[in-house]
Amino acid sequence: MKVTENTTYRMLQTNLDRITNGLEDLRTQGATGIKLRNPSDDPASIRPVLTTRTQLRTTDRYIETMGVSLDKMDATDGHLDHIENVMQRAKEIAINAINGSYDTADLDTLADELSFLQEELLDSANATIDGKYIFAGYEENTRPFVKNPTYTDAGYDPLDSQTWPVHYFGDGNPTELEITPGEFLEVNITGNELFMGISNGSLQAQGNTPTNGHNYQSDAGIDLFSTLQRLEDSIRAGNVDDLPATNPGDGIEQGLADLDAVADQNRRLRSQLGNRAKRVETAMLNQENVKIDLEQILSRYQDADAIETFNDIIKQETAFQAALNITAKVSDISILDYF
Amino acid sequence: MAGLFSALNAARTSLEVNQKSIEIVGNNISNVNTEGYSRQSAELTTYPALNFGDFFVGQGVKISNVKRDHDVFVTNQLRDKVVEFGLYNGQSRSLSELERIFNITEENIATDVDRFFDSWQELSASPSDLVLRDIVIQRGELLSTNFNNSINSLDTVTENINDEIISKISNVNSQIEEIASLNETIFNIEVKGQMANTARDKRDSLANELATTLGAVSYEDSKGMLAVHLPGGLPLVQGNEPMSLAAVTSGTSLNIELNAAGVTRTLGLNNLGGEFEGLVDMRDNFIPSLKDDLDRMAYEISSQVNFHHQNGVGLDNSTGLNFFSGPAAVSTTPPTPAPATYADAARNMAVVLTDSNQVAAGLSNPAAPGDNRNALTISNIGETYLIDGSDNFNSYYGKMTSSVGIRTNQNQLNLEGSEDAVVQLENMRDGLSGVSLEEEMIDLIVYQRGFESSAKFLSTIDEMMTSLINIRR
Repeated sequence: MKVTENTTYRMLQTNLDRITNGLEDLRTQGATGIKLRNPSDDPASIRPVLTTRTQLRTTDRYIETMGVSLDKMDATDGHLDHIENVMQRAKEIAINAINGSYDTADLDTLADELSFLQEELLDSANATIDGKYIFAGYEENTRPFVKNPTYTDAGYDPLDSQTWPVHYFGDGNPTELEITPGEFLEVNITGNELFMGISNGSLQAQGNTPTNGHNYQSDAGIDLFSTLQRLEDSIRAGNVDDLPATNPGDGIEQGLADLDAVADQNRRLRSQLGNRAKRVETAMLNQENVKIDLEQILSRYQDADAIETFNDIIKQETAFQAALNITAKVSDISILDYF
Repeated sequence: MAGLFSALNAARTSLEVNQKSIEIVGNNISNVNTEGYSRQSAELTTYPALNFGDFFVGQGVKISNVKRDHDVFVTNQLRDKVVEFGLYNGQSRSLSELERIFNITEENIATDVDRFFDSWQELSASPSDLVLRDIVIQRGELLSTNFNNSINSLDTVTENINDEIISKISNVNSQIEEIASLNETIFNIEVKGQMANTARDKRDSLANELATTLGAVSYEDSKGMLAVHLPGGLPLVQGNEPMSLAAVTSGTSLNIELNAAGVTRTLGLNNLGGEFEGLVDMRDNFIPSLKDDLDRMAYEISSQVNFHHQNGVGLDNSTGLNFFSGPAAVSTTPPTPAPATYADAARNMAVVLTDSNQVAAGLSNPAAPGDNRNALTISNIGETYLIDGSDNFNSYYGKMTSSVGIRTNQNQLNLEGSEDAVVQLENMRDGLSGVSLEEEMIDLIVYQRGFESSAKFLSTIDEMMTSLINIRR
């Protein structure tokens, strides 16, 4: 066996190649900060990385959706607050009307104010966000509450929604959004529940058309517009206790009782919404934490450890220098120098 | 005088032999960097001695043979190893292209799948928004395009492999012919008792190249001719008869055919080795399996989205419409579809929906603009639907990518290993047959001294003869 120049140079060449390839790899790692660039770098990490990335993207989406939900809930809550004020004022008027010894003109003034309150309530009921009606269920492009032009005091029948003072053209579908994987949350309140006391279930069972004259009394809810309208009618007629029952309206006493029920209904729905908003807030916090965890996991799989990488680069560079040195030395020594 | 004359003759042979030896050394030095060159050296023998009274006196030196340093064992081992090296080397280029196609950067099919279903989720927050509806269609189109492009890229890899095979085949054919003609040359030279060193070197390195590209096996027959055949046993060179390979295209596929003495045979994987085996294996087995997986994934996405999309209702009350072209809707948990069902699904994937009003985000009919139920359902397909009950779309893609990664990783290791082995064997071969400058320089001195001494010997004889002639003066 002998060592020829070719053997030596081939060995040097192979080693230099290998070192420069390794160095190139490490330098790219250092420059990009990523150690998993090609599938072959670590085939076992690919699935976790892809899954984690998907989860990160969905988490981002959930957080954004929850932001949208919170905005909607806040706006809804503002309107609920306003509605509560309106009903509060209506109650004050009713108490005024029942206690005082007003003459007809005074009662008319009170009744007129109630009429304005109805308009105010109607405005709130037709409130919009981004040009979409918030109390219309899925029918967000349809004005949900429209006055019934054919309403008459005598023709009013609580069992027949057709005769109520305001008609509802929305539907009974609350919007559900996915806030965490698999968890769907209602982010709004439908107009039928809030203003008419008709539950979503029975409205959906009736084909989402509340003007059909169906008897919704079994829902134990109360129609805000009817309450105000009937109260107005009673005050205008000075009808306190509805005796005889042929008097216009249902009597101020009944109106006061109804207003209490309205306040209950309002508060119940408002607190429901409040609870859901709370749930969204905690879920959002939770998702933010999840996001940080996921980013950590992703980083563990695909990011290069900076210190380790730079250490490795220095090691490799030293090896490279040594190899270059040796290569230079080899060409220094030649038998030709001795002839 | 007679003795002096024969001494003169001996000096002449010595001069000649040393001069020739120096020429041989010079030739070695010239070929120090020639690939496959084996160091040559002169074999010296004495001239038959003459009977001089009671004893024999030598009559000089002659070159009986110029031999090359050569070891069959190392040569054969090297030829075995380069087959392996060729195999891994042949696969490595296509694999690195596949790694680019099935990348794991932020932009790949998995990302587009995510974004597509994410756009549905986004739509669910405001289902009547026409811009978001447009985005859903656009994301669907991007996803389809990405599937189309991946399939096209796989086709390109296949084409590149075919191009490589075609370009290599002409080279292979000329190598086969050259071996056959060298067989002839070597036979003709060696039948006269000489050594055909250069021709043998040339033939050895050709056989090595054939082993690398084709995995060709070779052995020397009794006439000194090299028989070369394919790993499956089909002949490439028999005696001085070369066979030929041909690349025959039929449609988009390319077959390698062997034309052996008038009989044409198509070569399958079991008849190939080395680079060709690597190339053909990638082309015929690995890439089609990847295509199959891509098709399956495209089919499952299209059919699932279509199924749910058909259930939904668009803003314009349209219902029963497909979102993606191609496969008809299937039930929520389809049985494993036959490969024929999803053939070319990835190539043909496209969004057929053009009107954003037709994006079926809702379920209620007639449509309600705020209805987001179907958008929620569709956005969840990406997470909840499992291909074969085990993988969602992204982990299916992850599986495909991992298989490319594992294969590439394995191939890199194997390539490095076989490269090491080849380098080691080449070093071993060099250790036996290579030219070492040190050795040659020393030989140069030896023969130069030999030449000088012979010249001195000659002039001494000359002086002796002059002395003889001058006796009578």
